[in-house]
Amino acid sequence: MVAFVRTAAVVGLEPWPVTLECWVGQGLPGTRLVGLPDAAVKESADRAKAAIKSTGLEWPGQRIIGNLAPAEVPKAGAGFDLAFALGVLGATGVLKPEHLRGVWALGELGLDGSVRPTPGTLPIAALARSRSARCLLVADAAAVEASLINQLDVVPVADLRETVAVLTGAAPGRTAGRGEPAARNVVPDLADVRGQPLARRAIEIAAAGDHHVLLAGPPGCGKSMLARRLPGLLPDLGVEQAMEVAAIHSVAGVRDPSAPLDLVPPYRAPHHTVSIAGLVGGGSGIARPGEISLAHEGILFLDELLEMPRRNLDVLREPLETGEVRITRARASVRFPARFRLVAATNPCPCGHLGDSRTPCRCRPDRIERYRERLSGPLLDRIDLQVTMHPVVAADLLGESCEESTATVRERVAAGRARRAARRAVGGRVATSTALERLARAIDALALSSRSFDACLRVARTIADLEGAALVGPDHVDEAIAHRMPVNLVGAA
Amino acid sequence: MSGLLWRAVTAPGTDPERLRQVVADASDDAGGGTPDDAAAAWQEQGVLVALRGDAGYPRGLVERDAAGGPEFLAVRGSWPAGPAVAIVGARRASGYGVAVAAWLAEAAAKAGVTVISGGAVGIDAAAHQAALGHTIAVLGCGHGVGYPRPHARPGGLFDQLVATGGAVVSSYGPSTPPRPHVVRARNRLVAGLADALVVVEGGARSGSLVTAGHAADLGVPVLAVPGDVRQPGSTAPHLLLAEGAAPCREPADLLAAVGTSPVAVAAQVATTLPPSVHEQLAGAWPRPVRLDELARRSGVNTGQLLAAITAARVNGEVVEGHDGIRLRAAPA
Repeated sequence: MVAFVRTAAVVGLEPWPVTLECWVGQGLPGTRLVGLPDAAVKESADRAKAAIKSTGLEWPGQRIIGNLAPAEVPKAGAGFDLAFALGVLGATGVLKPEHLRGVWALGELGLDGSVRPTPGTLPIAALARSRSARCLLVADAAAVEASLINQLDVVPVADLRETVAVLTGAAPGRTAGRGEPAARNVVPDLADVRGQPLARRAIEIAAAGDHHVLLAGPPGCGKSMLARRLPGLLPDLGVEQAMEVAAIHSVAGVRDPSAPLDLVPPYRAPHHTVSIAGLVGGGSGIARPGEISLAHEGILFLDELLEMPRRNLDVLREPLETGEVRITRARASVRFPARFRLVAATNPCPCGHLGDSRTPCRCRPDRIERYRERLSGPLLDRIDLQVTMHPVVAADLLGESCEESTATVRERVAAGRARRAARRAVGGRVATSTALERLARAIDALALSSRSFDACLRVARTIADLEGAALVGPDHVDEAIAHRMPVNLVGAA
Repeated sequence: MSGLLWRAVTAPGTDPERLRQVVADASDDAGGGTPDDAAAAWQEQGVLVALRGDAGYPRGLVERDAAGGPEFLAVRGSWPAGPAVAIVGARRASGYGVAVAAWLAEAAAKAGVTVISGGAVGIDAAAHQAALGHTIAVLGCGHGVGYPRPHARPGGLFDQLVATGGAVVSSYGPSTPPRPHVVRARNRLVAGLADALVVVEGGARSGSLVTAGHAADLGVPVLAVPGDVRQPGSTAPHLLLAEGAAPCREPADLLAAVGTSPVAVAAQVATTLPPSVHEQLAGAWPRPVRLDELARRSGVNTGQLLAAITAARVNGEVVEGHDGIRLRAAPA
């Protein structure tokens, strides 16, 4: 007899509907799982067996074959455990076909029969709803995440015993809770950052115009502190964006499935030793999202940018340009969204103290030049704002902060973003001709690269939006140039 | 063929055949290559070579140096006539040092005095830049080596120097790399070509101390620029002052050492900076002021301040270094 249980697999970010078919019949006792299972899936048989026996039910002493259809989609992870166990019970007659019809099951099984959450709950729930599932069975801990999808009957089940009881009608199904907003990601306040008026201004512009930023300065001058506070200046994510972010985090297994939908833009800060796969996605087996995708719609903070190998920096260029990353494998390609805002931090020189009034720089001038040259190139060209920071004087750190709070700056940023959206909807001229001439002249006089023209114009446009000016004027252009000036390092004025 | 080549690179007043002999005999640390290779490299660079004692070789050098100076001088460009001062200092220069070096160099050039320096980054570069048209760079390597890179590249400082009527000089074959003994010889040459020498900035082990030592040996007056007692860059000048060098507090001090004085400065164009900003910068000159200090002390809103600074950079009124912003010229 063959039983059918609906479930799903996630490839990249895409959920694929999977039908688990279970056949029990004559043959040497043994279990075989087919349909491109990976190692964890193959272990489902053992877990299911222990779980079924722990529940007090019988494990058939015959040949069991489980097929995860469609056969050519690769299957990974322990999420098929529950479906397989239900399939076995269906094939032995403990569960009748009408009990299993339209039922989707997702979860890992403990040897005692308990049901555990599995990554990818959210996109799978979305798929179940779109395929008109009768109900979706998930672990208690995953129920909140699955309930983010409306119009889907999500039934939390603590263990296999409860699952069987609910399906046979012996017990009513529970409903999922709302989820506790406890231990939410609280973004620290901008008022904590003392001094640094230039860097604060640059961060405000970055938030208002979605620009990438480079912060250069000695260790301890506050680069990570500022980066950490940037998400607070950004508006809350819209529900659709938040769901997309939640789906990515769910698939990567970094999302707490019992948490409600988080509307704060994500903040990711990988160490500079992160691998390429960790950074952009990939890895052996089914491709998983990388840090740039986990930072989608949010901030990616790369500290010690120049400590990263050149190759790693190179792979960032395309996602910075296109907002997504495509990972091609022999079998399939996977697309992950990656529209993130980059905040990069670096030291100004190899020893880190160039421009530090407290500690003199020990570097040889030609080493400094070579170090700075590593910063140049296509990656830097895409970073519109480049700020030099200095350590704050001790006196500034004492006493009450009279610096603007996140709330104040956030309001200005929101107003600027609103104007930007309105202006873009209308289109038309962006800058006065005086402003454009001024920009061209300055680029010439200050020997900036010709790529700076576009970057400065973009930043000037955001500055004008923040000010409420309809067109970019010469002053906006001048300020934009200041945010992109490489500082003269050694030698001639 | 070889004869034509040598005639092309020989300065008037020198015999090409004798030159070829001298180059062939010179202890060859030029990394291999025949004398003809050297001549070819010189020709490519547009260099003319003069032998010691000949018309194209500076008289002052022969007279001053007991050894008479290096055997030959390879010169690219034209040699400005008249008195000369050497302005030297560390490669790792502070904004203060660069400002003072530029101040002294500009005043010297305006007074018709040639500015000599070593063509290195830092103080040397600041002096050359401010005295374009009246300056000579003495290389610590051969003409074909391309060191330091930012200056030797096409359109870089050395090209600008030559194009405006100055000279780039080397006393070694074109492919000689900047080895320590070559750099030391350069320092001695700088001292020998000058009628006065000022050390602007340098650390305890700065090469400018060696140059000052040579100057003292050659009877060339040595001056030093006092600085902030806490800064490592003041170590060399203060050492020299303690040993009897004359303080150089302004261009008049330096020019007096060569028997002349600064010409009157033209009236300055009105500043485009907000008054409180200009006040801060003028008050601190020649020390630079950091942008965040400027933002705090001037009371000007950050965005407006940045715009004003950019405008002032474009019109040349201010200059930005790694340690802050300063006015390019001494305030009135």
